[in-house]
Amino acid sequence: MLVAENLVKTFPGVRALDGATLTLQPGTVHALLGENGAGKSTLVKLLTGVYRPDGGRITLDGGELHLGGPLDAQRAGIGVVHQERNLIPAFSVAENIVLHHLPGRAGWLDRARMRAEARRCLDLLEVDLDPDTPVARLSVAQGQLVEIAKALSLDNKVLLLDEPTASLTGDEADRLYTVVRRLRDSGHAVVLVSHKLEEVFAVADTVTVLRDGRSVAEAEPLAGFTQGQIVDLMVGRAFASIELAERTVGEQAPPALRLDGVSTALGHRDVSLAVRPGEILGLYGLVGAGRSELAKAVLGLERITAGTVEVHGEPARIRNVGEALRRHRIGYVTEDRKDEGLFLEQPVTRNIAVTVWRRLARAGLVPDRRERALAETYVERLGIRVSSPRQLAGQLSGGNQQKVSLAKWLAADCDILIVDEPTVGIDVRTKAAFHELIAGLAAQGLALLLISSDLPEVVVLADRIAVMSDLRVVGELDNDHDYPRMSQQIIRLVHAETHVEGRVSAA
Amino acid sequence: MTLSATDRVTRRGRHLWRTPEFTLGVIVATGFLALAFATGGNLLSAGTLEAFFRFLAVPIVIGLSQMVVLAVGQMNLSVGALTGFCAMAAAWLMIEAGFPAPVAVPAALLLGLVAGLINGALVVLTRINGFIVTLATMTIIQGLRYGVNGPDTYQGYSEGLRAFGRASILGLPAVFLVAIAVAVAVALFFSRTVTGRQLLASGGSPFAARLSGISNDRSVIIAHGLSGLLAGVAAVITVSASGSVNATIGDDLLLPSFAAPIIGGVALTGGMVSVAGTVLAAFLVRLVDVMQAQFGINPRWVDLIIGAVVLGAVLLGTIRQRVRERST
Repeated sequence: MLVAENLVKTFPGVRALDGATLTLQPGTVHALLGENGAGKSTLVKLLTGVYRPDGGRITLDGGELHLGGPLDAQRAGIGVVHQERNLIPAFSVAENIVLHHLPGRAGWLDRARMRAEARRCLDLLEVDLDPDTPVARLSVAQGQLVEIAKALSLDNKVLLLDEPTASLTGDEADRLYTVVRRLRDSGHAVVLVSHKLEEVFAVADTVTVLRDGRSVAEAEPLAGFTQGQIVDLMVGRAFASIELAERTVGEQAPPALRLDGVSTALGHRDVSLAVRPGEILGLYGLVGAGRSELAKAVLGLERITAGTVEVHGEPARIRNVGEALRRHRIGYVTEDRKDEGLFLEQPVTRNIAVTVWRRLARAGLVPDRRERALAETYVERLGIRVSSPRQLAGQLSGGNQQKVSLAKWLAADCDILIVDEPTVGIDVRTKAAFHELIAGLAAQGLALLLISSDLPEVVVLADRIAVMSDLRVVGELDNDHDYPRMSQQIIRLVHAETHVEGRVSAA
Repeated sequence: MTLSATDRVTRRGRHLWRTPEFTLGVIVATGFLALAFATGGNLLSAGTLEAFFRFLAVPIVIGLSQMVVLAVGQMNLSVGALTGFCAMAAAWLMIEAGFPAPVAVPAALLLGLVAGLINGALVVLTRINGFIVTLATMTIIQGLRYGVNGPDTYQGYSEGLRAFGRASILGLPAVFLVAIAVAVAVALFFSRTVTGRQLLASGGSPFAARLSGISNDRSVIIAHGLSGLLAGVAAVITVSASGSVNATIGDDLLLPSFAAPIIGGVALTGGMVSVAGTVLAAFLVRLVDVMQAQFGINPRWVDLIIGAVVLGAVLLGTIRQRVRERST
């Protein structure tokens, strides 16, 4: 039995954990829930030796654990799949899975045994992947499965899964949870951190809810709660339904952005889309459908081989992001905020002002004062929680980082905004705030292309919904915001295509 | 959300003495005083002190020359060879071609700039690692440097330039003041200009920079160009301060060029610079040099000490990083 008692962890300016307690019984799936910033990831990192606690203690079967590093946690039998990917792209699937304990014979790598062990772990997950494929050639979802296989390879008694299904399709997630149940039945203790409450209720036995670094529910049977009660516990108040700004779509105006028969070097075929000022066009599809890549092609980062792109009715040939930004005022809020959206080592001020330094500059010099004033405007407007605008972006929570990533495009006065998976890994309340924000931007007359794999999000926000599958737009629907009907139609579109064409293997 | 003025002041104040630059400053000051004491005050005599600062000018500028490429996550192995080549070219212009110093000096700077831009263009066009590209251009430039005048020495060029090299303003050598002025300009470049910030953005996160409309290729070329220009400045300082130049100029500059920024706390991964740290570290390296001269230590030991200090500084930086990661 793994017990974490009264754990405290303080970072500069933030008390991330303030007496969190977690009791983990063998043979259970234990859900660890809470809003972003509630301390879930911090708790996971304390349990896996990434951080050391400032207070409290961790015991395993009665003996106190002092985890000085991830290796200590592994030795204690605690395995983890972190939210971030931890694979070596150039190594094969098999090498990645058994990386912690590469089998050797007299100092030489025993490739046969390595492959067999990797195969065993993949079979546990019922994943059909060639162990010799380099990880670099896998899709995000496949990489995630390899990570889980890697955590299983250590034969751990305790397994921590931090948002394991964030990038998986429904089928893949189901398969993963089958494995999780099997692990539970064989006496493992599994901690599941997830924002997807449906999944949590389907698979978990017990639940701990964190709020503001404290446990507000401790190892209670999940069956005693409804989803609504859990959400109430997480946010500490009844969850108000969001109110979206009223807006009118300029029917007469030419589309702000129009793609006509666009094909790309990546294999997009004959993609046609249009989004008007004040309109939100949802672009729904499964992971790997080619939505982000299409956005990058519009920005000139991928080559367009056929078709035309029009901005405000004028044909546009966009060669790079600089042109997209300055000449056509198109912004792109990336889905990968840590790598592509932010300069983690730089202050919030610079992260927001990066697109407009030229505008702020006086005789080539950027005055700190102007930069700070600009940043403060957006910190206020978007409700970004910072201890100071000079705080480094890397120190903010995920939701606040996402707001900073969005702020730089607003600062740049974009009138066409491509927003890519804006609420991935963001908690319920911040998510609602984001939805209000996005609707508000459309109400101000911005044209928004909303790329999302979150069906409720698309149905709530979009005016029209285009569905992409295998690098093509397979259908477009007018959205009447009737969730059951819309979601059925969308899912039917996705799957119709899948069944007719068969899925192209991503490997 | 917004801090009151007093908050900000205490914040700044608390941060100042916690910065690596402050620590380095204390080490340098202590070392300087200790050395002055150990030499019985000899270090503080007018002549010695002036020489100390005169020969600090090149290490500062060459350290900055390396720092600007480190800022974008690149390296420039050709800085030393380029300094030597620019120095020889300047001397050739004055002695063999008969141009006056006001022509030779800008020409040497221009030569450095162009060579640096070529380095940058090669890195961008070939997509070969900057380390390899500048290793190759270093060898080429070494050949060119020798080609100017073979093994022979140039001396007796422009009296005015040499007078400038010997001149002092308020007890500080003019060339040292030039180096400090250059350092201030570089600091201003990175903290205030649009281009300087773009360089840091490219170095810190090339993906995010690209998606923010910043051209990473442009950043790399500019950084290399600037690095070459600063090598040109180091060449001009060398020509004016030393009175004679030959094909060995620059041979002993590669290690110091890395030593200054690395000891000064500049990240090898790019995205972060410290001009103050680089200048202070050059000062520290100079102290080791003087110590060697004062106590007649075998010069080989100096390389060993500096090498060890560089290694220690990198180690310290890594530890600092780890401590910070643990606490954030």
